Amino acid sequence: MRSWLRVGAGALVVGVVTAGCQWPRDVDGTLERVRGGTLRVGVVEAEPWAAAAEGPRGVEVRLVEELAGRVGAEVSWVPGATAELVSGLHDGALDLVVGGLTAQDPWTAEVTFTRPYVTTRTVVAVPGGEPAPEDVAGRTVRLEADPQLEGLLRSAGAVPQVVPDAGGGTGPVAVEDWELDLHGLRGTGVELQSADHVWAVRSGESGWQVEVERFLLRLDPAHVQRLLDEEGA
Amino acid sequence: MRVYADHEMPPEVERLYRRAVRLERWTLAYLVSAVALMGLVLGQSQAMKAAWVEDLLSLLPAIAFLVASRFREREASQRFPYGFHRVVSAAYLIASFALLVMGVLLFADSAYRLLIRERPSIGLVEVFGFQVWLGWPMIAALVWSAVPAVVLGRMKLPMAARLHDKVLYADAEMNRADWLTAVAAIVGVLGIGAGLWWADAVAAVVISLDITRDGLRNVRSAFADLMDRIPTSPGEEQPLELIAVVERHVRSLAWVREAEVRLREHGHLVTGEVYVVPEETGAPLPHLVQEAVDDLQQLDWRLREVVVVPLPALHDERGSAPRPGKR
Repeated sequence: MRSWLRVGAGALVVGVVTAGCQWPRDVDGTLERVRGGTLRVGVVEAEPWAAAAEGPRGVEVRLVEELAGRVGAEVSWVPGATAELVSGLHDGALDLVVGGLTAQDPWTAEVTFTRPYVTTRTVVAVPGGEPAPEDVAGRTVRLEADPQLEGLLRSAGAVPQVVPDAGGGTGPVAVEDWELDLHGLRGTGVELQSADHVWAVRSGESGWQVEVERFLLRLDPAHVQRLLDEEGA
Repeated sequence: MRVYADHEMPPEVERLYRRAVRLERWTLAYLVSAVALMGLVLGQSQAMKAAWVEDLLSLLPAIAFLVASRFREREASQRFPYGFHRVVSAAYLIASFALLVMGVLLFADSAYRLLIRERPSIGLVEVFGFQVWLGWPMIAALVWSAVPAVVLGRMKLPMAARLHDKVLYADAEMNRADWLTAVAAIVGVLGIGAGLWWADAVAAVVISLDITRDGLRNVRSAFADLMDRIPTSPGEEQPLELIAVVERHVRSLAWVREAEVRLREHGHLVTGEVYVVPEETGAPLPHLVQEAVDDLQQLDWRLREVVVVPLPALHDERGSAPRPGKR
């Protein structure tokens, strides 16, 4: 047992020495490859975070471009469904997957999520001039088509009414907290759900993960809000 | 047969035992703090998880010791005519069996992860506004779990021997396993930082083998004690010297022509039978037997309820004395 530990410690010393000044290191050297090279990013369709259709755009697409600028990389965008992008990331065909991923998503066995960099909330709001109801029970609440949100409203006792555009109209409406100013709405204090937004990196690439997390954790919340305003409009 | 003295141990042993109980309470408090702290920084490291599970597990011997300490001194009752000393053996079996099961589970888990080439990674964490690599606080937590374990283990080993308490011994062993585990886990975390994907899983496998070996050895020993194996000192499979001491003492008695001793462990105590063939001395046999029983009790505090049985011959054709196996 003790000799095993000694062998392990010896191997470790060798590893640390060869690691040089970079710490922590990647198993597959993603960070080294990406620096001054190509950053392969999977994009999940999830507006306003990411949209791949006519040239990728969205909040997270723009953030990825900022990150790529920091490490001097060229971005190669790969649109796709979450499951196939996650499996591509697992196999090392991608370096990063973005597009409205949240910490609650179920992919952590295949890939590693970064720390959440922004938390968004779905709230019940009313148009600027209207009085805010204390409670949504029994009230009609408008929302844009979203079965999960509809269920949440029902279990809160509200009567959901699906509308094509939550921005117009009168009476309570369920929207994301970052859209409030955009639509001239006022929160009622009723929160329906919250989402911790994360990106996915390949497991084992600790050095790359630390680089991405350092970028995300240093983001100014006001900057993220500005991007949401621009991309959500 | 007489009813034995109320006091279980001589005063100095009693004091030592009370110290052991205090030490185990501290152990429990410290382990709970380590488990809680480690739970906060668990992350994805397999070795870290292994260390955490082992910490959870290492609560068991301490708990078993403290629970047993509540029962072992209870007086014998009509339903429990032999008293409650054997609760110590039962506690020892429970603790060591859990240890074994856990070791096997951990081995299967980490070997599987090695097989599917799982690549754990450790990212950043924000501590008081500073971004640090999560590996460093993980290592700090592991060191916190290792240092007191070394100290506690070292304190318990000599106590376990003097108290003849195998649960305490198992717990001292567990403390040793704890700090070995922590060192291996630190190797695993540093391995992840160095980009060696296998280092973590290999460290976890090594840990699990250590736990399994520990568990096996202890389960075997606990079973053997419950099967009335001859008394052995904690941690050693060697027979207690006490057996020879008893034999010598009984054979040295003037009225004893021949004697055969058969002892077994009874929790932290030692009990059994002494078969003697008396000489014709004219002295009343019941009194001699009584005296011998009292003497044996004076010989060592662990000797309790040893029965002295006078027989006309040790091994005649009727097989009156159970024949002890060859030693």
